[in-house]
Amino acid sequence: MEMIIIEVLSLLFAALRSATPVLAVVLGEIMTQRSGVINLGVEGQMLMGAMTGFAVTAITGDPWLGVVAACGAGILLSLVHVVLVLGCGANQIASGIAVMILGGGLSAYYGIPFVGEKINSFDSFGGSGIGSIPLIGRFLGATTPTVLLTLISIPVISLFLYRTRSGLHWRSVGESSEITRNLGHSPVPYQFAAIVFGGLMSGFAGAALAVDYTSNWVEHMTAGRGLVAVGLVIVARWNPWYALPAALLFGVSEALNLRLQSWGVDVSQYLLATLPYLIPLVVLMLSFRGLKAGGGGMPMGLKAVFTNS
Amino acid sequence: MNQTTTAATSPITGLKRLLNGPWTPAAIMVLAFVAASMAFFAINGREPVGLFFEMVRGGFGDGYSFSETLVKTSPILLTALAIALPARLGLISVGAEGQLYLGALFGTGTVLLAFDQPGWLLMPLMLAGAMVGGAVWGIVPALLKTRLGVNETISTLLLNYVGILMVSFVVHGPWKNPNSLGWPSTVEFPEGAILPTFFDTRVHMGLVFGIVAAMILHVLVTRSRWGLGLQVSRSNPRVGATAGISYEKNVLLVMAIGGLLAGLAGIAEASVIQNRLQDGLATGYGLTGFLVAWLSGQHFLRIIPLSILMGGLMASADSLQLYAQLPKASADILQAVLFIIVLAVGGLWRRRTMA
Repeated sequence: MEMIIIEVLSLLFAALRSATPVLAVVLGEIMTQRSGVINLGVEGQMLMGAMTGFAVTAITGDPWLGVVAACGAGILLSLVHVVLVLGCGANQIASGIAVMILGGGLSAYYGIPFVGEKINSFDSFGGSGIGSIPLIGRFLGATTPTVLLTLISIPVISLFLYRTRSGLHWRSVGESSEITRNLGHSPVPYQFAAIVFGGLMSGFAGAALAVDYTSNWVEHMTAGRGLVAVGLVIVARWNPWYALPAALLFGVSEALNLRLQSWGVDVSQYLLATLPYLIPLVVLMLSFRGLKAGGGGMPMGLKAVFTNS
Repeated sequence: MNQTTTAATSPITGLKRLLNGPWTPAAIMVLAFVAASMAFFAINGREPVGLFFEMVRGGFGDGYSFSETLVKTSPILLTALAIALPARLGLISVGAEGQLYLGALFGTGTVLLAFDQPGWLLMPLMLAGAMVGGAVWGIVPALLKTRLGVNETISTLLLNYVGILMVSFVVHGPWKNPNSLGWPSTVEFPEGAILPTFFDTRVHMGLVFGIVAAMILHVLVTRSRWGLGLQVSRSNPRVGATAGISYEKNVLLVMAIGGLLAGLAGIAEASVIQNRLQDGLATGYGLTGFLVAWLSGQHFLRIIPLSILMGGLMASADSLQLYAQLPKASADILQAVLFIIVLAVGGLWRRRTMA
């Protein structure tokens, strides 16, 4: 019995670690979409964050500087989406894909010298006394600062969104930029902030992946995590609290993928690697059912993007 | 006197008319792209003007480089059609990459099953297999959309990764050539499964498929009842339904046709370019196709020259890598820059003409 509990717990914490980068992107994208803007460019922003964070950590030896630089890189790249969507009125999906290609290209180009480099990553909390708590301790001890920071941002974001005046405006912009305008507020500053916040979170997510989780940089290493996250925003119904279980879907699929191999299950690793895409897709199918029926919490301003029929 | 004033203002109004014409934004886009790519070279410490002309030469300089451009054009053209056709119904599919891989997968599967058949039988079977594979990867997101309302952009993006992994699975697993010394690929295709090429170059039938398909689609969409139906369905599915046009059926149809075209691109790459199915078959063509479809304004005939231009950009990136040691990723960066310029200029121009 205890064996099973330990196995389940270790799977869950492994899932949490691999879910963290996705969770950060989901949270950022929730904020972006709450203002009525969708940004598929998070995939490219994540790659830029991963490369920049890894490079800065490799050069300075300080993973914290890497994380800060990664956030900056994500923000910079998200400004392209700001200019195209808010400045030029370009199609949001097309602009997002342009940002995605740009981020992939720039990170591959400037990341070449850092491929195969070794870095000093974060220490886990294992040595700080948490590790000595019975049963749970050894798992809690395995968590790292980026996991904790991402988890803390959940209540912070929901406090802002649901309990502050700015949060109310933010949400109303996403529901109807027209009504917001009629009430005398301009939607543009909110959408600007929303896209930039998405850039910050996806840049951070890149660092959580490359600096913390894998301590490694390979071009296109995010492998669609950003795009999975955009899908999971729908599963999370644009609610920061639901972002955690939604991101864990990806985390569990990935942890399961690794775990099944170590259990000696004789399935090709390539087929197992489809799980992190297929499982979110299947849950997405169920979510869209609810979406079709009652809206499922979708900001009305996104209707034009999602139900183009 | 009246006449003299009109005569005096006519050059100015003529110029104004010219500046407001449809070619102005295109000219701005071209100039901006030339400037931006030179800036990119300069930022990276290269001599900008010379390298730019080197790039043009790399794509269109001589017979050989132009033939390599056309080799790259084929998959771009076919995947662009796979994006543009659904777009005619208002769908934003990004699934051409996965459809390309599925086409290569099913086509290769057919070749392996009918390995010893003569070419006249093997070739059509292979192409049919590829079309079925691509179409399946178009129909899945189409069904998800019509049955469950799943947004096609997100489902096609996720299915791309699944398609690529499925090819990895077969070339590392069941279809792996045991004599390939650890290199993950299938056995070499038999002679009868290699698509014909032209004039001693690698330019192959895929290009012909793409051009013919573009022309057929253009006629169908602009001249036929079905094409008119797409237009009606796109602007208002309910009105379409009262006229007996099923939006759902059309979603399935355009996604399936788009998928089968991308599938053809996939098997052509496997058959002619690689002579086998292997990992990393044609990474990135799907997104380039998406870009071309957008550049063309989802116009099938414009897709043909734009695919050639984009093929030139990709071919010249290969030669720049060789001669100027510019990393391959520079092709992605230049593509993205072009896309951004087109979206920015196009968006601003639309805003200006509407105001």
